[in-house]
Amino acid sequence: MNCGIFREMIGSYVDETLEEGRRHWFRTHLRECPTCRESALREEPSLLFAMAPAAPGEPEEIEACAVAVMGRIRQDRLESRLHRRRRPWLAVAAAAALVISGGIAWRTMVGGGSGTLQPVVEARRDAELQSSPPTVEVEMAGEEVRVYQFANEADSDTAVYFIVDPALEL
Amino acid sequence: MVKENLCVQSVAHISHRRPQQEAGEICGVSFGSRGEVVMNDLQWIQSAKNGDEDAYAKLVRRHSGGLHRTVARILADDTEAWDVVQMAFLKAWQKLDRYNPRYSFTTWLYRIGTNLAIDLLRSRTSRERAHKAGTEHRLRLVGTGEGAGARADSNETDNVLQQLVGVLTPQQRSAFVLREMEGLETAEVAEVLGCSATTVRNHIFQARKALRRELRVRFPEYLPASERG
Ligand SMILES: [Zn+2]
Repeated sequence: MNCGIFREMIGSYVDETLEEGRRHWFRTHLRECPTCRESALREEPSLLFAMAPAAPGEPEEIEACAVAVMGRIRQDRLESRLHRRRRPWLAVAAAAALVISGGIAWRTMVGGGSGTLQPVVEARRDAELQSSPPTVEVEMAGEEVRVYQFANEADSDTAVYFIVDPALEL
Repeated sequence: MVKENLCVQSVAHISHRRPQQEAGEICGVSFGSRGEVVMNDLQWIQSAKNGDEDAYAKLVRRHSGGLHRTVARILADDTEAWDVVQMAFLKAWQKLDRYNPRYSFTTWLYRIGTNLAIDLLRSRTSRERAHKAGTEHRLRLVGTGEGAGARADSNETDNVLQQLVGVLTPQQRSAFVLREMEGLETAEVAEVLGCSATTVRNHIFQARKALRRELRVRFPEYLPASERG
């Protein structure tokens, strides 16, 4: 009885005119009834693909995927926090650069007298302080890690980060 | 955007009145009813939106297997498919604020994953395609009397597709895999691919025609005995 109905439905299935509920029944019968499968494939060989398995995937591969995705998400979050932390320091560096260029401009304007040297020296002292790599330490309570940032104001594009587990620190 | 949302809503409606979850459906999970699955997804998504990464990890564990199966069939490449799945979940996380919980998470996720797969297919060089075609291997002949397709190991269906899928365009591949192999409804496929139901049907017709031809030429052993030349 079911087999007869199934065979009458083959054409409509291929024509994409079967209502979704009947289509679902057709696909189930195709998987379960070898006789109908035989005749269905004779009529339409591409029905072979309607029997594709619905394997859920290997648990190890799924776990590895979850670990990789969550690792990337955490890494992205750390990076975005570091970017936010870095900005105040960039402002300080910009201010230091202003002090230096301001000092030089003042010296140029006033001329080469001996009395003009003092501010330049002060500015250079500021510059020396700023050129030693500043360290920004970020505590991430939720992560249980501490992040150190080493950067140089002469190269605003480069910074080195160390993400450290405090328990392992000396 | 409004049009898209309307479409998703109709998908959700259709899904609810489906009598029974078909094995191989979009979720790829064995839950008692579709309603239960959707409910848990929504709870986890809400938690994830509030920053609960464990909740998002649960979503990844639930849906990565099914998404991988689909993407692997579209790409005909198991390993590359895992890269796409990871990328899809990352992208989904980044766009989670824009996800509307009234609609199916799986449809949204599959849309992201399928788009990535299609982009990857388009970016593959002709050299890679030639390599794929050259590595064709013959599948074992099953029986002589009864049609092999009748007893084909189910994994072999995937092997056959892997050999033949190169004759289809990225859109045809995606539509055929989602509709014929994963068992999605036309409206769901349309939503995933971002096209009309008519376009989906057209992709299916073209794909079926090309696969039928290729099967007869390259895999006659999968046809019933009376079909083999
Ligand atoms: Zn039957």
